[in-house]
Amino acid sequence: MAMDPLAAIKVTFFQECEEQLSELESGLLAMEAGDTDSEIVNAVFRAVHSIKGGAGAFSLENLVRFSHVFETALDLIRGGDIPADQDTLKLLLRSADVLADHVRAARDGGSVDEGRSHAMAEELEALAAGNGPAVAVDEDTGEGFADFEFKPVLIQLDDVVAELPVLPTVDETQKVKTFNIRFYPQVGLYQKANESGLLLRELARLGDMTATLDPSGLPLFDLLNPEDAYIGWTIVLRSETADEAAVREVFEWVEGDCFLEVAEEAESTGLASDVSPEDASDDSSDAALHASGSTSDDFDVLALIRQAQGAEQAMAEPAPVKPAVATATPKVDAVATAAAPKVDAGKSREAALDAKAQASARDASPQTIRVDLERVDRLIDLVGELVINQAMLAQRVGEAGLQRASSVAVGLDDLEQLTREIQDSVMAIRAQPVKSVFQRMPRLVREIAMMTGKEVRLLMEGEGTEVDKTVIERLSDPLTHMIRNAIDHGLETPADRIAAGKAPEGVVKLAALHRSGRIVIEITDDGRGINRPKVRQIAIDKGLVAPDANLTDDEIDNLIFMPGFSTATSVSDISGRGVGMDVVRRSIASLGGRITISSRPGQGSTFTLSLPLTLAVLDGMVVTVAGQTLVAPLTAIIESLQPKVGEVRSLGPNAQVIAIRDTHVPLIDIGRTLGYRLTSPPPTEGVALLVEGEGGARAALMVDAIQGQRQVVIKSLEANYRPVPGIAAATILGDGRVALILDVDAVMVPRPHDFPVLSDGPDDLANSILPLAQAG
Amino acid sequence: MNDIAQSHAGERRELISFRIGDQEFCVDIMSVREIRGWTPATPLPQTPGYVKGVINLRGAVLPIVDLSARMGLGMSEPSARHVIIVTRIAEQQVGLLVDAVCDIITVDDETVQQTPDVACETVKTFVQGLLAMDGRMISLISLDHVLPERDLDGAGEHSASILAA
Repeated sequence: MAMDPLAAIKVTFFQECEEQLSELESGLLAMEAGDTDSEIVNAVFRAVHSIKGGAGAFSLENLVRFSHVFETALDLIRGGDIPADQDTLKLLLRSADVLADHVRAARDGGSVDEGRSHAMAEELEALAAGNGPAVAVDEDTGEGFADFEFKPVLIQLDDVVAELPVLPTVDETQKVKTFNIRFYPQVGLYQKANESGLLLRELARLGDMTATLDPSGLPLFDLLNPEDAYIGWTIVLRSETADEAAVREVFEWVEGDCFLEVAEEAESTGLASDVSPEDASDDSSDAALHASGSTSDDFDVLALIRQAQGAEQAMAEPAPVKPAVATATPKVDAVATAAAPKVDAGKSREAALDAKAQASARDASPQTIRVDLERVDRLIDLVGELVINQAMLAQRVGEAGLQRASSVAVGLDDLEQLTREIQDSVMAIRAQPVKSVFQRMPRLVREIAMMTGKEVRLLMEGEGTEVDKTVIERLSDPLTHMIRNAIDHGLETPADRIAAGKAPEGVVKLAALHRSGRIVIEITDDGRGINRPKVRQIAIDKGLVAPDANLTDDEIDNLIFMPGFSTATSVSDISGRGVGMDVVRRSIASLGGRITISSRPGQGSTFTLSLPLTLAVLDGMVVTVAGQTLVAPLTAIIESLQPKVGEVRSLGPNAQVIAIRDTHVPLIDIGRTLGYRLTSPPPTEGVALLVEGEGGARAALMVDAIQGQRQVVIKSLEANYRPVPGIAAATILGDGRVALILDVDAVMVPRPHDFPVLSDGPDDLANSILPLAQAG
Repeated sequence: MNDIAQSHAGERRELISFRIGDQEFCVDIMSVREIRGWTPATPLPQTPGYVKGVINLRGAVLPIVDLSARMGLGMSEPSARHVIIVTRIAEQQVGLLVDAVCDIITVDDETVQQTPDVACETVKTFVQGLLAMDGRMISLISLDHVLPERDLDGAGEHSASILAA
C-alpha cells in the first residue's frame, strides 16, 4: 500500500481503459453485424470519450490526440452525419486497434507505430471532414479538430477542487451574458462518484450565479429510494467571460448522467438575478398550486425531508443557493391529485421501476469489485486446508469406530458438503469468462486477413464460459497460433473459394463451452481441410514416418502435431516460423489439456481443445509404489492393465517392454526409477498404467496397486524446496500426509542428467536409467 | 542469518539451543517460526540422504532436513521424541530435525567466540561461532547451506523447465 496515490489512480485508469477498449470493440462489432441501436453508438462514443478524458488528466498527449480525432469521427456517426456503413466500421475497428496500441504504449512506456497512427488519424479526419457538417461540431464542443488543438485538462489530484482552465474564449464582446441552466442529475451521476455541489461550485467560478433547488421530483417518503437522484437545480448564471461551451464544459464529465439545458438569454438585463423559482420551473409550481392544502399530511413529511436535504446541499455548496423550500412540491401525481392517491402512488412506483429498469439496461455491465489476486489465492489456500482437514477429521472419526448413522458422522457429512460448496464458490471467484482472451482475436483476424489477402469473418460463441484465471492467461498464445494457422493454412484465397463454390469470405469460428467438468474450446474453419496426401508426404520426407506406413486419416491428421512438422511451403509472415502445432500441443499439455483434430477435405477443420477448469486441482489416479503413495495425472493415463505372463519381454540387459495388443511399449518400474527400491518385483504382481507423454510416445508405468481416482489440490514443491526430477508437484491426501504427483514425461524418458546419481543413492540407479533412455 | 548478525551488532540476541547427539547447537530465534513434534515425512526421490522428505505444514509442503546427517554426525532414526524446528531460510521454510530443544538463551554479540580453526569443511560451512554457557559449549550455526546446493541438481531445474514449457 506504499503505492503513490497518483500511480494507483493511473493503474485504475488503465484498467478502466481496457474495459472501455473492449466495450468499444464489442460495440463496433455489433454495429458491423448490423445492430443500429443508438445505445450502442453512444456506448462506443462514451468509451473513446472516457479514455480521452482520463488521458487528458494524466497528460498522455499522444493518447489524447488520437482519441480526440477518433471521438470526433464517432460523434459525427452518433449524430447521423456519417452513415455507419461497412467501410466506415472497418476503419473504426482498425482505429480501435490503434487506440489500444496507444493505451498500451502509454501504460507500458512503449512506443506506437507512429506512421500507422498518423495514417489512421488522417483517415479518420478525412472521414469526418468529408462527410459531416464539421462547423457545427466545432461550435458544439468549442474545440477545433481540424487544427488538432486539444488542450488536455490537467487535474490537480491533491486538490479536489479542480482549477478548470477557461477554454479559449470565443466571445467577441465583453457583454454580460445570462444563461438559464437547468441541471437535473440522474442516479448515474452519483454512482460515478460525481458531486453536484462541486459542479455548481465550478459553475460559480464562471460568473455571478444563482442556483435554485428544485425538489419537485422528490417522491413520497415511502417511495423514496435513498440511492436515487430526485433533485435538480435551476441556475441563472451571469458571466462576462464564459460562453455556452464553457458552461457545458463544466458538465462535461457528467454528460449523459444528467439532464442539462443551457439557454443563453438574448438580452442581458438584470432581470436574471431576480428570476424567482416559480418562473424557473413552471410545471413544478403548477403542481404546487394543485397540491397545496389537499395533502397536508404528506406535505409536512416532505418539508422535513426537503429541509434536511436543503441543509445538506447548503453545506455542500458555497455558491449562493436558495433552497426553494416553500414553493415547490413534488409533481408526483399522488400528491397533486388527492382523489386517488393510492392508485397513483402505485403508478408512480411503476414509473420509478421503469426508470430504474431503463437505467440498469443502460449500464448493462454487471456490478463488480476489484480484489487483489493475492487475497483470493490466500482464500483458496485456506479452503484447500479446510478440505484436507475435513477429510482428516472424517478419517479419524471412521477410525474411532463410530457408526455411519451416528450424529457425529452425519454432521461430518454435512460439513463435507458445505466444504465442497465453499471450495467451488471460492474457485469460482478466480474463474473468469474466456472473453478476455477471445476479445483479442478479432483484431488478430483482421490483421492476418489483411496480410494474407483473405476475407475472414470471425464468429465467437460462449465468450461467457468461465475458467480459472491461470488457465486463461496461458490460453492466449496457443489460441493465437491456432487462429493464425486456421486463416493462413486452412482458409483459401477468395478466388480459390469462389472456384470451389464457396462464399469468398471464409468463416473462422471460435467457441467455448463447458463439458463434463472441463472447458472445451473449438476452432473451426470452413477452409480446404487438411491436405492428407501432402501431410503424409511431408512426414515421410522429414523422416517422421516410414514410407510404407499404413496410416489412418486420423493418424495422418495428427502428424501435424509432430515436432519439426510444418506444411507451409513458404515461410510466411504469420505462421510457419519454425514452431508449429507441436508447440501448441505442448503448451496445451502443460495445462493438463488435450487437443484433437477433425478435418473434412474441402469443408474445413475443427481443432478441439479440452482443458481443466483450474490449475489448482488435478484429477489424479492415486497409486502405491514401494510403500509410497503417488498421484498420476489422469489426463496422461490411457488405460490401466494387469500384465500377464508372456506379455512382458526383456529388451537388452535391463530394459523390458510389454505387448499391448500389437505394439510393444517400454515397461518402466516407477519404484526403481524414483529410487524407492533397487529391484523390481515381477510385473505380473503389479498394475501397469499405459500413459501417453506430451510427444505422443507411450509407456507402461509399473505400480504396485491402484487406490482410486481422486481430485487433489496441487501444492508446489519449489516453494520451500526445489524441483525434484520425476516429480511434478505435491499434494496432501486425506490422512494429512504429503503425496507426490508424478511427472509422467520425466519418468517416461529419463535422461541420464535428469537423474543424477547421488553419492548416497542406490548404486544401480545409473544402470537402471541408461538402458531405459535407449529404449525410450 | 548473517544479515541479522550484522544488523544486531552489539545488541543482545536471543538464540534457541538444541541438542543433536551429545553436542549442543543454537540458531537465532528470529529465523525460527515454530517447533513441532516429528511426523513421518514423505521421502523425495533423487535427493541427498539428509533430506528426510516433506511433511504437511498446514497446507504447505515443508522439506525436512536431518541436521545430524547434514552436519556429518550420522543419520537420525526419527522417533516421537524428535523435534522439528521450522525455520525460515531466505524465502523458504525448512524443517530441521533435531534430538531435542534445550533452551532460549540471550547473549551479547561480544560473547560469541570465533570458531577455532579446525580442519573440517562441515564445521567451516555451518558453525558461525561458539558460545560458552555454564561450562557447556554451544555452536551457533548458520542455516544458509542447510538445503542441497543448487548446482547439485541443476538437472532438476531442467526437468522443471520441461514442465513449464
